[in-house]
Amino acid sequence: MGLEINQLTHHEGSGSSRIASENGRLSFRQKLRFAGFVLILFVAVPILLGRSPYYITVLTNAAILSFISLGVWITFSIGRMNLAQGAFALVGGYAVAILATRYGVSFWLCLPLSGLISAALGALIGWPVLRLKGVYFAMTTLSLTEAIRLLALNGGDITKGATGIVNIPRPGAIGLFGLTIVPEFNGADPLPFYFLACALLVLGLVAVWRLSTSRLGWVFRSLRQNEDLATSIGINVAKYRVIAFGACCFMGGIGGAFFAAFHQNIYPATYTISDSVNFMLYCFLGGLSYIFGPVVGAFLLVIAFELLHAVQDYQALIYGILMIVCMLWLPNGILSLGTRHDGKGKYGGR
Amino acid sequence: MLVNGVVLAVNYALIALGITLIFSIMNVLNFAHGQMFMIGGFVVYYLYGIFKVNYFVSLVAVVIVLGAIGWSFETFFFRRMRRMATREENSMLLAVGTALLLENLALSIFGEKQRGVPPVVTGVFRIGTAYLPAGRLLVMVLALALIVGLLLFVQYTKLGRAMRALAQDREVTHLMGVNVDRVAAYGFALGAALAGLAGGLLVTVFGVNSGVGNVYSIKAFIMIMIGGAGVVPGAILGAIALGFVEAIGYELLPGSITYLLIFTGLIIFLILRPQGLLGKPWG
Amino acid sequence: MAILDIQGITKRFGGLTAVNNVSFSVEKGAILSVIGPNGAGKSTLFKLISSFLPPTSGRVNYNGHTITGLAPHEVARRGVVRTFQETTIFKEMTALQNVIVAHQLRCRATSLGIYFSSAAARADEERFHNNATEILDYLGLSTVKHMLARNLPHGHLRALGIAVAMAAEPKVLLLDEPFSGMNIEETDAAVKLVQGIRDRGVTIVLVEHDMSAVMRISDKIVVLNFGTKIAEGTPTEVKRDEAVIGAYLGEADEEVGH
Repeated sequence: MGLEINQLTHHEGSGSSRIASENGRLSFRQKLRFAGFVLILFVAVPILLGRSPYYITVLTNAAILSFISLGVWITFSIGRMNLAQGAFALVGGYAVAILATRYGVSFWLCLPLSGLISAALGALIGWPVLRLKGVYFAMTTLSLTEAIRLLALNGGDITKGATGIVNIPRPGAIGLFGLTIVPEFNGADPLPFYFLACALLVLGLVAVWRLSTSRLGWVFRSLRQNEDLATSIGINVAKYRVIAFGACCFMGGIGGAFFAAFHQNIYPATYTISDSVNFMLYCFLGGLSYIFGPVVGAFLLVIAFELLHAVQDYQALIYGILMIVCMLWLPNGILSLGTRHDGKGKYGGR
Repeated sequence: MLVNGVVLAVNYALIALGITLIFSIMNVLNFAHGQMFMIGGFVVYYLYGIFKVNYFVSLVAVVIVLGAIGWSFETFFFRRMRRMATREENSMLLAVGTALLLENLALSIFGEKQRGVPPVVTGVFRIGTAYLPAGRLLVMVLALALIVGLLLFVQYTKLGRAMRALAQDREVTHLMGVNVDRVAAYGFALGAALAGLAGGLLVTVFGVNSGVGNVYSIKAFIMIMIGGAGVVPGAILGAIALGFVEAIGYELLPGSITYLLIFTGLIIFLILRPQGLLGKPWG
Repeated sequence: MAILDIQGITKRFGGLTAVNNVSFSVEKGAILSVIGPNGAGKSTLFKLISSFLPPTSGRVNYNGHTITGLAPHEVARRGVVRTFQETTIFKEMTALQNVIVAHQLRCRATSLGIYFSSAAARADEERFHNNATEILDYLGLSTVKHMLARNLPHGHLRALGIAVAMAAEPKVLLLDEPFSGMNIEETDAAVKLVQGIRDRGVTIVLVEHDMSAVMRISDKIVVLNFGTKIAEGTPTEVKRDEAVIGAYLGEADEEVGH
């Protein structure tokens, strides 16, 4: 059988992944890399680019788009191609919009609430829809993105139809015992939003990493690899599918809530099919086996898109070509370039 | 209202059959189907609308252009993907990529504006209390003719039978000496051409703009979800269902509520019957 | 008392009757084999017993309670676990990970506790790891426990399937063709294995084609043909039953020769 003795203990040192989606324990190198990432986000970027609102905004977008895509990553981990994330981002955005403009709820309360509302809606719709697999699930979720857009369009007085909701107030200050912990977000300075976005991203990464390496993550893997077998050993497949989908929608909702406050508006057209598709693409581009996949994918594509600003007219076209090239030549994503055998070694891996 | 339903149903059937063909032969959901429809519309717009080429000739051009696109997609993209034997999601993703490609290509070349073409025939017919513009009648007749032609082709010609065999069992067909790659490429070309033809026909009724791609892809999806993916009668059934529901809906209800109801109904329908009316259960 | 009681189970698919009014009972601690020619409805029967398919009529009682109509994972929870054909394994996990995952039923920690790595969750994982290692040892898989399941040789895949089922601590184990594709030595080893599992207190129902193994191992045999039970009894009784000989054993004599 050709067993290689030194590979019997495969888990330690499958350092092919930036953050091992399977290992419960991170190697020192991985912790170092993650710390480096956090440092770059929170220290290097503000220092180097702090004077340039344009770049800060681009990175803010990238950060939250990665966060939203992390949600889609979770549904990938149970074996579904989820094209509905745009719908739940829209729900989150409208949740903030309505709560803030109509009921004066503070953004800081709206944020988790949007997540919960999206998650609840996701659980409700997901319960029956998750029975579908493969293309059926993809088509249905794609249709869901459209359906929610139409719902917003026809929401009458609540969603204000095509005109959308504007003048969504920016996040206010958070104070404790008279001390301001978080300053009021004003329009001139993009940094507070940037820091919030990065904080969300880091929190999201840690949360999803924990999910993936815990027993729950293994249950999800079992669902992805063989639902029947999982059922035969007593796993309540339907329940765990909904948990995964709910978690995904939670992240989508929070992302949408962020953007609603960031841009201070929300329209039915804010998230379209293209956006749902993009979230999925970010995951794929980075590499589905890696938790950092969506992050790499989103950052690369968002930054690339901006860089192509020079070729304005052909920006979208080049984007499309890039997509196909990546799919054909990097089917396991960019992060798989660091490993041999596309990251699927004989031992361990995905 | 019912008449409109028929017109829509027949044209939608072209779309549904095209995507069903591709799906059944190659197991790929052609996400770019709507974009192909759109390109068909643009070909007719340019040839017939701008350069005043004969309408029917421009339809032939549609077949050539879209056939070439479909053929290239299979030959250069999807075949490669199959050889690589990666995760199954990758084919779907590639399909999404092709849709993006066509969408952005069209946007770059054709711009954003809505375009229309002059009517091919003028006049109005009266059927009972309904009015049927001759243009719509023409479109309906042509679509019907194409559908019949397609069904005959698939049933009786060598290539058509090869496609059916491929849809049923790839391995066995290969073993029987059929050049699977070639048949698949022709299949994709044919499916694409059907989408384009539907676009070329409907452009005379609705006009076209580069944004309709996703809209029609979704229509295609809805039809095969209702009727069952990968089966021809299912496609036709789905087209009839959607055509009529749309016509009736737009007549009776304001604007976008029609589709909202369609989606809600669809989701409920799928919950109860995930494989569609006639389809095999998926996954 | 019978641990498993099949009462008048029938399954119709449109016009086709796959299983027709089959009844039998399984004693606790016994090994019962279901045999019959191909297409006799054996695998459908398994799916019906484990609730992967709902019956058209009839029911299944386990320990006196009706399990028909329960969700399949519920049936597994109660102790009736089925295995599948050999390719049904978690391919992208190692053998050890396969078996550890299968301990899900035995979790004492809650989902939240699992997420935040509570003391109960950690204790669970330790227990599962040890238990999985023991199961793999018992089934002779300890040398390959860190190998990806999709790279495992065929014989080991079957054993892994059983290991996974055993992690769920079944009281009744439904084995789907456990001896198929095995040569004489492998079958011997597998027979001893199954008997060993029975000796650990698990009641076993198996579906099988290999007549010699079935004759050796079974306390009782049920014979199906075209979805109907045509015979039931001890191996000696069944061997002599004329209906069985006519339907099945005639072919099987050639098989036993190999």
